[in-house]
Order: sequence, then structure tokens, then C-alpha cells
Amino acid sequence: MSVELPADKITDVQRFDLSVLTRPSAQKFYKRFDGIIIFVLFAFIALGIMLQYSLTAGDWDYWVDWRDRRWWPLVTPITFMIFIGGFMYPVWRAFRLPVIATAVTTLLALSSWVSRYYNFHLFADFPMSFVFPSTYIALGILMDCVLAMTRSMIMTTIVGAFLFAGLLWPVNWPLLAAYKVPVEYNGLLLSVSDLMGYEYVRTTTPEYLRIIEESTLRTFGGSVTPLTAVFAAFASILVFALATMASSAIYNYAGRYTRRIA
Amino acid sequence: MSQARTAYYSEANLVNDSGAAGHFRRNRIFYVGGAVALAIAIALRIYQQTMSFSVGTDYYEPEFQTYWMSLLYIEVVVLSAIGIIGSVYVWFTRETDAASISPQLELSRYFKLLGVLSVIGLWAVTVAALAIESDASWHQVTIRDTDFTPTHIVIFYFAIPLLTAILIPTFIWTHTRIPAFMNRVSLPFLAVVCGIFMIMPNYGFNEWGHTFFYAEELFSAPIHYGFVVMGWSLFFLVPLAIQIIQRMAQLIAEVSKDDTAVA
Repeated sequence: MSVELPADKITDVQRFDLSVLTRPSAQKFYKRFDGIIIFVLFAFIALGIMLQYSLTAGDWDYWVDWRDRRWWPLVTPITFMIFIGGFMYPVWRAFRLPVIATAVTTLLALSSWVSRYYNFHLFADFPMSFVFPSTYIALGILMDCVLAMTRSMIMTTIVGAFLFAGLLWPVNWPLLAAYKVPVEYNGLLLSVSDLMGYEYVRTTTPEYLRIIEESTLRTFGGSVTPLTAVFAAFASILVFALATMASSAIYNYAGRYTRRIA
Repeated sequence: MSQARTAYYSEANLVNDSGAAGHFRRNRIFYVGGAVALAIAIALRIYQQTMSFSVGTDYYEPEFQTYWMSLLYIEVVVLSAIGIIGSVYVWFTRETDAASISPQLELSRYFKLLGVLSVIGLWAVTVAALAIESDASWHQVTIRDTDFTPTHIVIFYFAIPLLTAILIPTFIWTHTRIPAFMNRVSLPFLAVVCGIFMIMPNYGFNEWGHTFFYAEELFSAPIHYGFVVMGWSLFFLVPLAIQIIQRMAQLIAEVSKDDTAVA
């Protein structure tokens, strides 16, 4: 039994001879390879962002009455920054593709729409108008545009992450405005979304776990939204920077093999 | 050194096999495996949709034992069989003479690896779109009376463990068939497999916590953070892809060296 390998079988090349791409059969190999690797990568990104988003910001996104002015616009971009940061650096470093933020937000949108329809609407009988997902695709495009135009991870961290979080509310406002209209119900002033939440009882999320609009100084009134947006934007810069540093460590140090055995 | 062996379906030949039939032959692992995966996913989803609220809301009813616990036992047997038999088989049929592997055969094995990963990816998409949030919606319209709820039986005891049951034999296959991986361990591949595997022990903590101190189902509760952290193992996918690309680039150059260049 021979376990020795010729040197050419274990060479880890960093630069490729691009003249190979002029050969028709090589073009076919690469075309096939690209299709598979893009599918695999995007499929796992869809699983990863769905897992992460559901278990961190999902509560605020499942229900229209949870999309408040304090927690939803803060938790959501931070969650995205962790995941986008984890993939953006290696994909940019290795392939120079500014697509990850758009891919993550788009894949989440596709998965969420299928999931809300089949799981929340058909399975649990909630109306789609109560459980439709928010939209973040425009924010992902914006962030990728910053990377494409500046070609700098630092500028993407400072400007891209800031814009992603800061514009989350304005991008979603057209979807949510109708649900924030005030209504009077049995002498109480509610929003339409609050009323929907009151009508649709959620058995394992009782009222004491409804984490929305928690505050003491309600007198801030309408300034809450921009205030949260700016805080979320700065928090997102920090989180994106940390996630990018972690992913660069993974890319540079953990993307290797162990020493050869025997 | 023994005679160099080539692939039964040589990639060098298949790549020139044009048309739909050629496309299917080249990607047969994805189409066959994907069709099986999709069939299982759709069947499970229909079963869940039909049987959850009719016979799945009370663990102590005999119907629950018949329709849901039986499914759980079947799942455990099937997953154990796939994981254990698959791992043992690929280990005992491992390559013993790495030096004899021709570039064509090696390239063919890389495409086989990618084919299996694409099937796992397709399953991952169905888990993302159909499984994960079904548990969220279930808990919002029912009262928790057991760890073995219909959605848990589908997600925790089949959908996510199936990823592991296929990934572990794939990991072993890769490290015993592809020369660049042999006699050493790919750290990003190991991290992906371990991370997804470690989601399963986290079920234990999740169920233990929900049983003893957290009956509610706030998804963003700290009791669920383990799932999120384990999901971060997917960050190792890009370094793994780069390891694969590095060697495949060499192989494609080698296999296509006799090809006439076009302008």
C-alpha cells in the first residue's frame, strides 16, 4: 500500500494560469464548476441566514405588530452584519465579487416568502397581511455598491454598514405605513398592527414577552425612529468590523489543512 | 507505482458530450440525489401539514404514538443507517494507492464531491424555506406538552441531522479518495461538518431548557443562541471552496492541455 503522493498532487497554488481559459474544454469545465459552486454556496447561505435571522431577529419580523421603532430596526441590521461580514470578506478577497450583501438579503427574502406562506399562513392559519416578511434587498444592493465603488472593506464597513442600518426603516416604511395608522378600540388608542396582534393570540409569546416599544421616556415621540436608526447604524459598523475581522482570521489561518499525517 | 487509473465516466470525455443527455450524465448525482431529496421533503411537508393538528397536538393520545412517534423511530433508524453504513463503507473501500490516480480520475472525483455537496445544498434550501420557521409558527398556536412535537420530529430529528448523516460520509470519502485531502485534514471542511453536527447536541440543551425553565417560545431567547453560533460554521465554506478550486484549476489545466486554444 502506497500513501506517498507526488509533489504535484499537494501543491496549493495561489495564482492560476489564465491562458488555460482559452481552451474550449477548460471553458466547459469551469462553466460547469461555476454553476455548481455558486449553487452550493448560495444554498448554504440561504440555510445559514435563515437559521441566524430566525433565532435572533425573527420574532420582530414574523409579526407586523412587532416591527416597532426601537428593537426591530436595531436587532435586524446587527444580525445581518454578522452574517454578511462572515462571507463578504473571503468572497471579495478571493473572487473580487461584491455580491454577498445582495445575495444574503435576496436569499432571505425568497426563503422567508416561501416560509411565511407555507408555515405561517397555510400551516398555522395566520393571514399573510400579518406575517409578511420585511424587505432588505435594497439595503444589500446599497452595501454591495459601496464595496464595488470604493473597493475598500474599510469604507464598506464605515459607509455601507451605516447606510444598511440607517435606511432600514425608510425602505420598509411603504410596507408598514398602513399598519401604523391609529385606531380607537374599546376606548383604547391602538395602531392597526397592535389590534391585529391583539386579535391573533400567540400562545407561547405572551404579552410579557412582547418586546416592543419598551421605554420610559415616551415623550421623545416621533424622534425615536431616527434616533434608533443612528444608534443601530453605529452599532452595525462595530459588529460588521468584528465579523469581518473574524472572517479574515478564518480565511487566512483556518482555511488550511492540518500537517500531513504519517 | 502502479498503472495510472482513469475514471469510468472520464470527465475529459463527458465534457464534450453535448445536449440535454450529456448535461444529465455529467450532473447525474445532483439530478438523481436532488429528486430523491425533493421527494422526501415534499412528502414530509405534506405529512406534517396533514397530521400535525389532527393527531399531533397531544403527546399522551394513542394517535400521537401511532402517527408521530412511529415516524420518529423510522427517522432515527434511517439516519443512523445512512450515517453509520455510509461512513463504514467509504472507509473500508478507501483508496490505497493515491499515486496511481490519474488527473482525469481525480477531476472526476472533485466533480462527484461537488455533486454530493449540491444535493446537500438542495436539502439545505428546503430546510431553510420549509422547515425552520414551521416550528416557530407551530409554537405560536399550540401549548408545549412534550419535546417531541410534530415540527421537532421533522426538523430536529430528520431535516437537520440528515445534513450531518450525509456530510460525515462525504468528509471521509473526500479524505480517502482525493489526493489533496489524503493523509491530512481540511480544517474548513472539518469545521463545517463539526458545526452542523454540533447543532444536534444543542437540541439536548434546548429541550432540557424548555422542559425545566423556559416554556415560552421567544425565538431570540438566549437558549437558542447555540444554534446560531453553530450555524456560523458555514463561514468556513468559502475557504473550503478555495481549497477545492486550487487543485481543480491545476487538474483542468492538465486534463485540457492537448486541447486547441481558441482566440
